[in-house]
Amino acid sequence: MGEYGVTPGQHVAIIWDSSSPAEALKDLVEKIQALVGADSRVAVENVNQLFQSAHRESSFDVILSGVVPGSTAQHSAEVLAEIARILKPGGRVLLKELVVTESGNNSRIKTAAKLPVALTLSGLVEVKELQKEVLTPEEAQSVQEHLGYQGNDLLIVQVEGKKPNFEVGSSSQLKLSFAKQPGPSGKPSLDPATAKLWTLSANDMNDEEMDLLDSDELLDSEDLRKPDPSSLRAPSCKELGKKKACKNCTCGLAEELEQKKNSQPKSACGNCYLGDAFRCASCPYLGMPAFKPGEKILLKENQLHDA
Amino acid sequence: MVGRKLLVLFGSQTGTAQDTAERIGREAKRRHFHCRVEALDSYEVANLINEPLVVFVCATTGQGDPPDNMKMFWRFLFRKNLPPSSLCQLDYAVVGLGDSSYPKFNFIAKKLHKRVLQLGGNPLLPVVLGDDQHDLGPDAVIDPWLLALWDKILTLYPLPPGLEIISPDVRLPPKYTLHYLAEDSSHPGGGQLQPTAPRAVPSELHPFAARMVSNQRVTAESHFQDVRLIEFDISGSGITFSAGDVVMIQPQNRPEDVQQFCQLLRLDPNRCFVLKPTEPGTPLPALLPQPCTIRYLVTHYLDISCVPRRSFFELLSYFSTNELEREKLEELSSAQGQEELYSYCNRPRRTTLEVLWDFPHTTCAVPPDYLLDLIPLIRPRAFSIASSLLAHPDRIQILMAVVRYKTRLSKPRCGLCSTWLASLNPDQGDVRVPLWVKKGGMKFPADPDTPVIMIGPGTGVAPFRAVIQERVAQGRRGNCLFFGCRQKTKDFYCQAEWEELVTKGFLTLFTAFSRDQEEKVYVQHRIRENRRLVWELLSSRSAHIYLAG
Repeated sequence: MGEYGVTPGQHVAIIWDSSSPAEALKDLVEKIQALVGADSRVAVENVNQLFQSAHRESSFDVILSGVVPGSTAQHSAEVLAEIARILKPGGRVLLKELVVTESGNNSRIKTAAKLPVALTLSGLVEVKELQKEVLTPEEAQSVQEHLGYQGNDLLIVQVEGKKPNFEVGSSSQLKLSFAKQPGPSGKPSLDPATAKLWTLSANDMNDEEMDLLDSDELLDSEDLRKPDPSSLRAPSCKELGKKKACKNCTCGLAEELEQKKNSQPKSACGNCYLGDAFRCASCPYLGMPAFKPGEKILLKENQLHDA
Repeated sequence: MVGRKLLVLFGSQTGTAQDTAERIGREAKRRHFHCRVEALDSYEVANLINEPLVVFVCATTGQGDPPDNMKMFWRFLFRKNLPPSSLCQLDYAVVGLGDSSYPKFNFIAKKLHKRVLQLGGNPLLPVVLGDDQHDLGPDAVIDPWLLALWDKILTLYPLPPGLEIISPDVRLPPKYTLHYLAEDSSHPGGGQLQPTAPRAVPSELHPFAARMVSNQRVTAESHFQDVRLIEFDISGSGITFSAGDVVMIQPQNRPEDVQQFCQLLRLDPNRCFVLKPTEPGTPLPALLPQPCTIRYLVTHYLDISCVPRRSFFELLSYFSTNELEREKLEELSSAQGQEELYSYCNRPRRTTLEVLWDFPHTTCAVPPDYLLDLIPLIRPRAFSIASSLLAHPDRIQILMAVVRYKTRLSKPRCGLCSTWLASLNPDQGDVRVPLWVKKGGMKFPADPDTPVIMIGPGTGVAPFRAVIQERVAQGRRGNCLFFGCRQKTKDFYCQAEWEELVTKGFLTLFTAFSRDQEEKVYVQHRIRENRRLVWELLSSRSAHIYLAG
């Protein structure tokens, strides 16, 4: 495993802010790119642009934030939540943040205790504090410039967190089994007392005074859903071929149909005398029963009109 | 074969769930399972704790309600006193049949699946939700699900060594065998219904043969629709009902159709027969007298005017001696052929009899043994009772529109029951109609001062006629009716009755005649026009509001 625990082929996001020195950021990006290999799997984001970028959820294996040496990043609850969203299930975030050691200071900077809590509240698990560092003089200077904070109780803490190993919205069935030891058939054996109660109840069919459960309570919101209407359509449900010419027909179909109406219809397939099950879609005898052998059928005038 | 048991339990209202259940039963037999297929209310529920493998096939009907033949089971299943691990030995799966245009889509199957899980059952697969709204019906989702189910089941219960799945080319034995009696043996008056024992309340298994008293057309002769007010005599039946209840009528086939069917299948209508079950323990069909005549079977039992299902084509293909016909029948019963089946059969509402006519070589080769496997029992039809016992004791009246419409078939489609009832003339002799009564869904206020607002266009007014007659007999005046139809002079049925009640102060009537003027006027327009009155009734008098039609 390379530095920061990044392995080849992973999708990595590096989040920086205005306090991160440009050179150091470039160095870090190159280092990570070398680790994961080519194909631009490294996304580099300014924390203020993070929301606009609207990355697809669950797209990154590793997110590094505030780890550029010299950075004084502060992670808000919204940023942490966004990080949690775009991490893949089981993915890791590694971040560095300034903390104060004493609480009670009227400052935006979190206390050492509050930082892991902030990660947990955003939905990350296995939150671990990896290391604490005292600021170098340059870093202290940087803090003063960017955050206007002057105190000497600052530390830089490196914290790691993980996204839980299931996706938002996934479901899993709980196994609530009160099963007793299985009997010889491999099934749980039936308690004789239970069997007796059931039998007694079953033999008393006079249920005028029986207490009944409300069956509606068994249903949940999933049960109240209706099927999607598109799922109810058959792949091809066409009307049996009835040709209709448009009112101002110019293609000649109208005349063709007129002619058909006036002449005795001819069978296209030769199966007309069999029932509807065997006739083709344009058969003029559709709708009539099968003919008796030797029977000659003359269609009545009104039966030749389009329905 | 020991231990290879599968139980299929169904709750079916229109027969679709039962047909699906029977299909699963056949597929189970082909995989060498000993399989029983039963309606849920006919099954001894005490045994459920011992069942190893059950497939439930349940329709949802009404407003998210269980079908009639599983109502008892449903009440049992939700008892609080059932221990949570009762069904720990049960592997199960649930097939649902419903219609997603209803809000409570497949609620029965969904609830059943969860409740059995709650009681310790082990589901083999997620519940499958068949949908009438799908272009290709419930089978569109059930077909692939069943493939997955058999995979699962055969993993748990692999085929015994040396046995293969019985090929779909091999025909399964019929449920019953049909044995003709000698031609000269005396036969009963086959065709007459025996009067019920006076104590039993008439039901589906024991209908009451009610005498038709009158059969009047209530729409103008020139009106396109034939609507009848029909009255039955129920004295001596033990039937009671209240307004809002429903009468179930068991129809029969037309004599011309019966004759045509017998000709096609080369059956002699006058022969007598008895049925014997193929598997011992199978009960005989409840509504068939034994011995029975062919004429009785085809007139009263076999539903030859129903639209045949996929299973009909599958079974019919086995009897075909003609290659062209057999190929077509096999195609129409295959999963790939469902679109063509829907186009040939379901959409134009082609009847079983018409299909048999189209496949002459196959039809004449159908063995009588298979008739009851091929064609289902005629289903009863429900009508809202349009009269009250308080106004017309010992009588049931119904308001019935004769169903008749065109599809792309040259012959118009006719409702079996409405056409049959319309053809009966009580002036020409003793006319009997098998019927029984079922509780309705509407409940009316117990407090006599609570007003009732009823909206009933067309024949939807039928149950409200019963309600109004009942309330008037009880002296209750708060009755408000919104009635709509096409033209005052053509289909304003019960006009005289309503006008009399309005004069006497028992009824507030609003009418909407949609075609009596240029713009269409419907009941909702009248409701809006009278919204102040409606609101006043609802808010300060706690009126109950009802809608039917």
